[in-house]
Amino acid sequence: MLEAKNLSKTFEGTNALVNLNLSVASGEIFCLLGQNGAGKTTTINLFLGLIKPTSGAALINGEEVKPGSNTNQWIAYIPEVVQLYGNLNGLENLDFFSRLAGYKHSKAELSELLIKAGLQEADHTKKLSSYSKGMRQKVGIAIALSKKAEVILMDEPTSGLDPMSTDEFTSICKELAAAGKSIFMATHDIFNAVNVGTRIGIMKEGKLVHSSDTDNISANELQQLYLKTI
Amino acid sequence: MYKYMFKQFLRTNTCKLGLFLVLILGVISISIGKQFLKGQERIGSHVTEKQLEHIQRNVELHSEDIGLLLYYLKFAVISEVSPLAALSIGQKDVNPSVQSVSILTLEGQKYDSDLVNPTKLLFGNLDLSFILLYVFPLLIIAFTFSLKSEEEETGTWRLVRIMSKSRLQFLLAKLSVRVILLLLAMCILFVLAGLILSIPFGMAFLAFFVTGLLYILFWFSLSFWIISLKRNSSFNALALLSIWLTLVVLLPATINNFVVTKYPVPEAFTTNIKQRDGYHQKWDTNKRETMEKFYARYPQFESYGYPPEEGFNWLWYYAMQYLGDEESSKESEMMRTKILQREQMSRKWGQFIPSIHTQLAFNDLANTSLSNHMYYLQYLNDFHEQTRLYFYPKIFSNVNGKEVDWSQFTPGYFSLSSKVNFRQIFLPLIILILIFFGLSLLNMRRESRVY
Repeated sequence: MLEAKNLSKTFEGTNALVNLNLSVASGEIFCLLGQNGAGKTTTINLFLGLIKPTSGAALINGEEVKPGSNTNQWIAYIPEVVQLYGNLNGLENLDFFSRLAGYKHSKAELSELLIKAGLQEADHTKKLSSYSKGMRQKVGIAIALSKKAEVILMDEPTSGLDPMSTDEFTSICKELAAAGKSIFMATHDIFNAVNVGTRIGIMKEGKLVHSSDTDNISANELQQLYLKTI
Repeated sequence: MYKYMFKQFLRTNTCKLGLFLVLILGVISISIGKQFLKGQERIGSHVTEKQLEHIQRNVELHSEDIGLLLYYLKFAVISEVSPLAALSIGQKDVNPSVQSVSILTLEGQKYDSDLVNPTKLLFGNLDLSFILLYVFPLLIIAFTFSLKSEEEETGTWRLVRIMSKSRLQFLLAKLSVRVILLLLAMCILFVLAGLILSIPFGMAFLAFFVTGLLYILFWFSLSFWIISLKRNSSFNALALLSIWLTLVVLLPATINNFVVTKYPVPEAFTTNIKQRDGYHQKWDTNKRETMEKFYARYPQFESYGYPPEEGFNWLWYYAMQYLGDEESSKESEMMRTKILQREQMSRKWGQFIPSIHTQLAFNDLANTSLSNHMYYLQYLNDFHEQTRLYFYPKIFSNVNGKEVDWSQFTPGYFSLSSKVNFRQIFLPLIILILIFFGLSLLNMRRESRVY
């Protein structure tokens, strides 16, 4: 479970995030929409513990994110561009990062994770420097899966992915949510947000100005709402 | 995790090129050391052979006049070269390992050494100690300067932070991969050196190895401290290269300049003048006065009496020669003291400057230091006196040269087997390693407490 309580962040007098209150329960996919600079990445960075909140608290499973806390053990993160080690192949990168998190998987398990993330078996042992952005993204998903994290934070994960890969990605997210994970995704992709999310939020100038379920809203309606809101 | 850290690092061109370079240079340095040892052995056996020939030839020519015979005869003293000298040639390239001296005044003969190729001196010796002192630190810098910053600059650091349980452990693991690889390269070079140079595995070799190891660890701890300052790769590289230049080139040169200025040795010149005057002026001094001074020092020869004032006499001639040394002995001692003071001052500074300390320790262990040469010169003094005292009665009573057992006059050997002072060698390096490593850990821990 992921929670923000009056979470605020100011950068040199500029409000990047203002009193954010939200929670993403187990099995939920929360998609946060907003323009560039709206505060989506700041929110993710606060949950990752990469920056210090000006006020309020970011909580993971009830524990406040702060230096020395163990909240990272419950988190997996998929950035917009997954940066990995170019001189290791996909399988080795996955094994390396999962070992770094304290998980030892067999080669078969690692292969399975990569296949689950959508990476074809023939590509597993290719050098990462030959991978496309989409392929790297899939390794990033496999890394997140390998950690067996309860909370997954995603920052524009489908940006630059082809429609097929985006579709595969959506399926994986749904599977993860069905398995009880809490997913928080910052995105510009309104169609994908409606498709994958269980809830959506719209952020403007650091404030969460709209939050609702996706059950009764179509992509077109959401687009209208988004354009009206921002 | 270690497996992939090794894989990842070993696949980089920096690692491949760096290790290849250090191993090739290391092997070249060992072969240079081998050449040096061979040269020393060749000189040693040559001297023994030539001394025998030299004595035989002169005995044939001058056996009837032993005073004249001893005027020509020279006796060699060989400073034994330890196989470790091949690893650290030190002062052996300028200070001779063999001195052949007659029983005439010694002072001038002490510095009458072999010709040295100045071009070779200009470039110095590419021995293993050079590789350890100069090349290894450069490689450590190349391997570590971007240990953390490359992760930040290539974007992997964010994922590492989120995935790893401890950032410090991650960086320590990365550092240890580089430490292990470079220590492995060093071990390979030492094993090769041991085998190629037939170095006996004793305390000195062990101490040499551990000193090299500690010096390498010092550079790793220093690099880790710079890394812990959390700057970018360019800053780290620039800072580390500046430190390398300061520690390995600038400070040793500055300290050398300082000690030379602080302890000038005009005695190098005045000793020579005093010794020459001490001897030459005796030609114009009456013989009795000269003999009285000689007998005051060696009363055991007083029974040979006083030679007549007119004409030449070997007893008087050798007394004059002796007085040349006697009258320059104060200057000679002063020169020795000042040279040792220079050495002591360098050692004092060296405790705080690892490059100087390590070089001095290597030279000490290999018996190629300046102090080793000073002991050799002291031994040469004693050898000269013993030889003189052996021949004086034979000259003074004009024994036939053929009656002397010349077979006993094989070259004298000087060897110094000093005990290895582990504490003195290792402690300064250990303290510096602990200081820099401690500071690095403090910085890293401080970082882990902030966002």
